[in-house]
Amino acid sequence: MIGTVRRNTELGLLVLGTMFVVGAYVLTTLPDDSPIPNTTGPFLAIIVGLPLVAHVAVRRLAPQADGMLLPLATLLNGLGFVFIVRIDEARAEPDGLAGLQSIWMILGVAAFIATLVVVRDVRLLERNRYTAGFVGIVLLLLPLVPVLGRTINGSKIWVSIGPVNFQPGEFAKLALAVFFAGYLWEKRELLAINRAYGPFSLPDPKHLGPVLLAWGASLVVMVSERDLGSSLLFFTLFLVLIWVATERASYLAVGVLLFAGGAAFAINSFSHVQERVDVWFDPWGKAQGYQVVQAAFAMADGGVSGTGLALGSPTKIPVVESDMIFAAIGEELGLLGATAVLIAFLLMIGAGLRIAQQAARGFERLLAVGLTTLLGFQAFIIMAGVVRLLPLTGVTLPFISYGGSSLLANYVLLALLLRISNDSAERQAEGLAAQ
Amino acid sequence: MSKQIRNIGVFLVVCYAALFLQVNRLTIFDANELKDNPANNREVERDFSSPRGSIITADGKIVARSVPSNDQYKLQREYPTGELFAHVTGYFAFELGSAGLERSYNDELAGRTIDFDLRKLSDLFVDRERVGDLTLAMRNDVQEVAREQLGQREGSVVALDPRNGEILALWSFPSYDPNGLADHNFDAAEQVAALLNADPEKPTLARSYQDNFFPGSTFKIVTAAAGVERGGVTEDQPEYPARQAYQPVGAGGRPVGRPIGNFGGATCGGTLFPIMEASCNSAFAEMGAEDAGADAMVDIAQAFGFNQDVPIDLPRPARSSFPTDFENDAPKLAQSSIGQNDVRATPLQMALVAAAVANGGEIMTPHVVREVRDDQGEVIDTIATDDVWTQAMSGATADLLRQGMIQVVENGTASRLDDGLEGYVVGGKTGTAQIGSTDSSHAWIIGFAGPPGEAPSVAVAVIVEGQQGVSEQTGGRVAAPIAAAVMRQALEQPVAPADQGSGDSNSGGGQ
Repeated sequence: MIGTVRRNTELGLLVLGTMFVVGAYVLTTLPDDSPIPNTTGPFLAIIVGLPLVAHVAVRRLAPQADGMLLPLATLLNGLGFVFIVRIDEARAEPDGLAGLQSIWMILGVAAFIATLVVVRDVRLLERNRYTAGFVGIVLLLLPLVPVLGRTINGSKIWVSIGPVNFQPGEFAKLALAVFFAGYLWEKRELLAINRAYGPFSLPDPKHLGPVLLAWGASLVVMVSERDLGSSLLFFTLFLVLIWVATERASYLAVGVLLFAGGAAFAINSFSHVQERVDVWFDPWGKAQGYQVVQAAFAMADGGVSGTGLALGSPTKIPVVESDMIFAAIGEELGLLGATAVLIAFLLMIGAGLRIAQQAARGFERLLAVGLTTLLGFQAFIIMAGVVRLLPLTGVTLPFISYGGSSLLANYVLLALLLRISNDSAERQAEGLAAQ
Repeated sequence: MSKQIRNIGVFLVVCYAALFLQVNRLTIFDANELKDNPANNREVERDFSSPRGSIITADGKIVARSVPSNDQYKLQREYPTGELFAHVTGYFAFELGSAGLERSYNDELAGRTIDFDLRKLSDLFVDRERVGDLTLAMRNDVQEVAREQLGQREGSVVALDPRNGEILALWSFPSYDPNGLADHNFDAAEQVAALLNADPEKPTLARSYQDNFFPGSTFKIVTAAAGVERGGVTEDQPEYPARQAYQPVGAGGRPVGRPIGNFGGATCGGTLFPIMEASCNSAFAEMGAEDAGADAMVDIAQAFGFNQDVPIDLPRPARSSFPTDFENDAPKLAQSSIGQNDVRATPLQMALVAAAVANGGEIMTPHVVREVRDDQGEVIDTIATDDVWTQAMSGATADLLRQGMIQVVENGTASRLDDGLEGYVVGGKTGTAQIGSTDSSHAWIIGFAGPPGEAPSVAVAVIVEGQQGVSEQTGGRVAAPIAAAVMRQALEQPVAPADQGSGDSNSGGGQ
């Protein structure tokens, strides 16, 4: 019953979202008098077709799953694609980003379906939690391997195998979410034992090992890969999960203190971190501040309703297609468009946390919280960096930014959330039937 | 566990709320500050490659337009008449900014006023660019006569219609070619700008309205107005004694300061018209200092527009000034009454003095633009022609002074002002303003002309700077022929307002 309602809601929302994206695409790419580009047909087919394919797959493979997440994800993905097409066309020498992104979108939906097929039961992941942990750490450290690692835009987060570049960190975060959820659920009772120190109640020192380990790993990522954003994201993921698993706020306190200490240490010891912070406080006239300053100028041009699609000049912002794409949205769609993106992410967060609340089993609850935190917090870190609420850190804006690794990983994340949602709905239905 | 999950939700909502506030800050609250940031060249760049309207004279000459260019900016701003209208159009450059009408009518030229925005609403499905063309009140033919007559002498010529404030000619020598500043090779444009700025003659300064000078005897019209309005002066009364100099008197009737002598030690005096004809220093010094007095002189000078910002539709006009600190300073008041001491006037201001006399005492708001049209020739905005800037004096006073100025042309120092103007009623007043204590001076003339029995339809002011010799004849000899030729051109070939709009002007001809 609930499955039918959810699927039909999903279809209705998908149609609405797709209509918006198609409209935006047409407005953006069919200007004045130039001939219709020959990519228009295939691109429109992708914009319309992919959400429908994904929807049919969900009907078959997870019919009881939540109906909000997929329409929101494809809406953001479609919006991002329209902006990438637009940015690509505005460049003096287009580098074919739009074509590549369309291939990444196809692969992303394929990965989404594959995940639903392979992970028929979330318990499969729980059983393989230590494997996931191992894979996660290997992926995280892969860029440090001398032959494979690549430094692009100052961050050593890329791996090259033959002609293919990818960011293993995007997949590491999923593997680590699985591992943390499984491990913390298993050890939650031990970890929950607190000791009183005077008026304070703190975790037993011998159980602080995992916290320190996660902290150390985050520092390694930050220092050796120069990846502030991912480092913050991993540590936050761990902290949130250990807090939810143990229900002990003391972990949160210890974690925040460790983070503050680590941040202070990093600012004092590493010039690239210090530079980021300096630029955050005062980007004006600094070479490293150029990106955020241009982003601010772009948003100021946007105003309330934006300059209109394809009527701004987002290409003045360096790397606008990936990290800075939120500024392009602010410029051309204005405060209204930027706010719509914020609301879309908030709705996804709400849907994700609702899935967590409704999940019957602890591991699934933790995994859903972890995945939602990854999505919502990553989006927050990069958007906050673009508008100078936080120092700018190089992570992608999920579903919107250009980039294959990020898109694939986020479609897998989406599939896992839908799988958890489907399983708990099925189990609830079985429970009702049994009564 | 569910409590923690809810708290994570609350935490993320707070994070996103902070994001929302910050986006508000950037797009709304700090937006203007960000747009004004010197590092932000988005607006300039956008304007620079956006369509922009043309500027066309009343007789159909294109003086500024945008033509296609083959570079990244797509459009090149061009000034077909070069230096002739440079002080009016100004220039529209990338790094140097803009000046003149390009600056004061930027929003209209770019099609960015509210009027245009409303009209754009109906263009949703039509491919057209709404920009504004400016139709000037100014006439290319009158402007050309002004340039030809002034020649290579530093100075200014201003001609306007006293009845509505429309400026017909606004020429200063030296001028400059704005095309060099609008060059898309920005380094070349910077070099041109550096050369112009280094030039001691300051060719980019429009002397006609952005600089001021001693008005000399042309200011006696203002003194006469004060005398008639507030000093009991009439056509017959008083009769100023014939003498060589006037001795200012202080409190208690004691003489103060140096006597104010007539040019060349001449003897003159008499009633209002004779002293205007002779431009008699001793008589006007006494009229200002004793008959009118300080308060009346200041009040009337300010009623004529002195010490006020002239509301012309061009950027950065200079102020004309009349001193106000006459307390116990009779010599200063006497000198000021003949346009010396600290009195300064722009050529535009002196043309407006003549216009006030010609137009029954009212000075209409001066303007160079007649109307704004869209690219279809439809009138978007018309500049008011019935807007009174200031009431300089009563109609009766203006009538009296008009007769006086006509006498000056018939019998006095401005006798050459009606050269070639047979059949018209012409009035004028000369001036010679000595530069410090040198033997050179500015030659001035102000005047008006029109068909008999009608209100004069043209008023002029001409200044030729730095002429050799200091005699009251200089203004009449040097400046009057220029003014006469300009008024003749303005009167003999009246041009109807261009009703066809910019239709033909876009063809690029406009000859």
